[in-house]
Amino acid sequence: MSKLSRRGWVSLALLLVLLVSTACTAMPAAPAGDSGAAGEAAATEAASGEPQRLVVAQSVDVQGLEPSNVNSRAESNIFTHMYATLYEITESGAIEPYLAESYTLSEDGKEMTFKLREGLVCHDGEALTAEDVAYTFERAADDANAFTGNTAGFVLDALDYQGVRVDSDLEVTILMGRYSSPALGLISEAFIHCKDSYEAMSLEDAAANPIGSGPYRFVEWVKDDYVLLEKVPDYGLKDVAYDEIQWKVIPEASTRTAELIAGNVDVITNVPPDQHAAIDGSGEASVNGVAGTRRMYVGFNQRDIYDDTEGGRAIKDPAVRVALQYAVDVPTICQTLLSFDCERASSMVNKPNDNANLEPYPYDPVKAGELLDAAGYPLKDDGTRFDITFMAGRGRYLNDVAVVQAIAQYLTDAGVNVDLQIMDWGSEFVPALRLHEVGPLYFVGTGGSTWSAVYDMSDLSAPDAATNYTEWNNQEWFDLWAQLGEVRDAAAEKEITDKMLEVMYNDPPWLFLYFQPDFYGVASDVDWQPRRDEIIDLTTASPK
Amino acid sequence: MTTYLVRRLLQTIVVIFGVTILSFFALHLAGDPTYLYVSERATDEEVAETRAKLGFDKPLHEQYFSYVVGLATLDLGNSLRSRTPAFELVMERMPATLELTIFAILFATLLAIPIGILSATRRGTPLDGGIMLFAMFGQSMPSFWLGIMLILVVGLWLRWLPISGQVPIIQPLLDGDFQTAITNFPDAIRHLILPGITLGVFSLARNARLVRSSMLEVLNQDYVTTAKAKGLARHTVIMRHAFRNSLIPFVTIIGLEFGFLLSGVVVTETVFSWPGVGRLVFNAINQRDIPVVQAAVVMFSLLFVLLNLIVDVVYTRLDPRIRLS
Repeated sequence: MSKLSRRGWVSLALLLVLLVSTACTAMPAAPAGDSGAAGEAAATEAASGEPQRLVVAQSVDVQGLEPSNVNSRAESNIFTHMYATLYEITESGAIEPYLAESYTLSEDGKEMTFKLREGLVCHDGEALTAEDVAYTFERAADDANAFTGNTAGFVLDALDYQGVRVDSDLEVTILMGRYSSPALGLISEAFIHCKDSYEAMSLEDAAANPIGSGPYRFVEWVKDDYVLLEKVPDYGLKDVAYDEIQWKVIPEASTRTAELIAGNVDVITNVPPDQHAAIDGSGEASVNGVAGTRRMYVGFNQRDIYDDTEGGRAIKDPAVRVALQYAVDVPTICQTLLSFDCERASSMVNKPNDNANLEPYPYDPVKAGELLDAAGYPLKDDGTRFDITFMAGRGRYLNDVAVVQAIAQYLTDAGVNVDLQIMDWGSEFVPALRLHEVGPLYFVGTGGSTWSAVYDMSDLSAPDAATNYTEWNNQEWFDLWAQLGEVRDAAAEKEITDKMLEVMYNDPPWLFLYFQPDFYGVASDVDWQPRRDEIIDLTTASPK
Repeated sequence: MTTYLVRRLLQTIVVIFGVTILSFFALHLAGDPTYLYVSERATDEEVAETRAKLGFDKPLHEQYFSYVVGLATLDLGNSLRSRTPAFELVMERMPATLELTIFAILFATLLAIPIGILSATRRGTPLDGGIMLFAMFGQSMPSFWLGIMLILVVGLWLRWLPISGQVPIIQPLLDGDFQTAITNFPDAIRHLILPGITLGVFSLARNARLVRSSMLEVLNQDYVTTAKAKGLARHTVIMRHAFRNSLIPFVTIIGLEFGFLLSGVVVTETVFSWPGVGRLVFNAINQRDIPVVQAAVVMFSLLFVLLNLIVDVVYTRLDPRIRLS
């Protein structure tokens, strides 16, 4: 019995080994969605004449393929390849013609007329004319469709959209309730689609069968797995190097890193700082970091609801707010916690549209102390100047918890007794932020642009604006903001915005920090550079 | 038997009802998710309009009543994010989750039985000690850590198995495409091994310990001594007399095991980019997509309760002394 038993176990073990080794060595051709297959294919495709595929891994999937319901940058990056826009924002922040070849603005600034290029077509072969552009805007604005995406939920509101007029086959006019300096950039975010194609589909069908106007057309979406696009043959508006691009969904950052090093994907997004060394040391890929356009700051909430707190009263004094700028060593925070050499922000506006004359506040704790002394907040016997609450959400920004802990420590070192409250982002922090009930200090980052100072400054368009979370109310700033609506000349606008940023510098509603860096992992055999504005433009990518 | 089944099914309805109450109120007590579904520049009016569109403007009891009425017709509402029916979203991903869970449960049970028996019959030997040490490690390792280690070692360094992704088997079968299911099978197994081990290793360790202790208890029973005294072969004593009786507590936990594994898929599916319900729930929780979370919780609860019912029925077959009544 004993012998037989042992033999039985040995047989079982051999069977298991056989099964595992069979599974590990048998490498049948994998289906299209298999990332392993993607990497293997990439290595041989050039030689075999197969389509060249670029595989990008990001953390989230699209929620649908409806061009008017795009809700996030991750989605918009896919749509940008399927749909063209009237104008497009380039990497440098210039706004250049795309489907349109030119535009004119009416004298009152409320009508923007676009002249389309000739011979445009959508992916199903339908001619793309002014009527289709008009349809795109009307469809997004139609309440019956209940779209909540960027075009319907933000662009149209920001434009004070009043309607659209078809002037001829190739001319279309967008009607706005008021002049808006960033209008062209905002309109450049609307994905243009053809009327006949979309009218023939229900909303459900349209959300599953995108018919675009861009350089790549839709092939397949396997939910939570990938979206596959293929190059549109003879697309005249852009010359692209890759025949196919696949957007894979890999939620876990370390898994994305492993897939990149293994050669199964070509580009990955949101690489955490702790994985930079592994990628750079692999020889297979490298990390490309870029200072993004998201403005990270500590807000000074000046609402009266904080008047019964020491800190709430203190930060109402501009001298205190200026003093605290000197108390935080922002470059060190960037280097140690974000693995990036960032330049400290001097205002809320991204380069190159900022006021170049404003020097970022240096880290000077002695000066911070002197200024706080002078403002009437000397060190007390317990070594503190005043108590203040500092609120932050968890898990929304790069290393956010570590960053706010560091800031809190710097402020503590300056004698500010900080009560740091780290909250759940979605359920606690965001609802309070929207009600302007975070503070008196709070940490947040808001999206900015490379193409318009006014766009970046529109967070503070009014004392009670939804995004003026501090309820900062500097009369000079808002007087100048009103003047912006009167000028049409870029130089005159620049003069005003520079003056406004100087006002902000001396009466800061924010403790200026940094523009959040974005990190991408890029395979060694791919030539691609990331942009500052979080747009992943793969039309500029090519094999090395 | 019929009476028993009817009574258990009625109990199932009560359990599901309780689950809906708990999940509904727990999710809503976490706050109003409207702010996550409007532009950051939205005015108070736009926020109120969106809140009304999403149905969060009504009193909580009214929202719950609408939800329960919908549940009766399997209408669990639409996903706040994708606007598609939440029930459909869950069911679309259920085959992938079932593939992973079934693989993990097979891994955890089929290996646990021989390991547990071996350990019990070699009690006190270095082999027994080694197996128990392994079991302790298996129960101590967090699954996200084990998953990442397997990815690094097996997927990245050795390059033996795929790092992430899934090749479907059940979905083609449900679609009636048997050819694709068969063609996919070898590659599907390759993709299943790492996430399956990650998900199942805790259960494997626990089950192996359970089988061992159960076997040890049975091996000391008089009837086993009698069987040995009769001169029966050792394997006959172990497999025919001891093993079958030691299975009863093991079978009892299989149903619970399934529930445990279902709860584990959230982490495993996220680490291995497995397109199942776990990842759907993970994303839905992050986005406060309440209808999707509720739909998934209800479906998981239903599966869990029904499987336990099946286990109870199987129980009577293993031990005829047990009566369902």
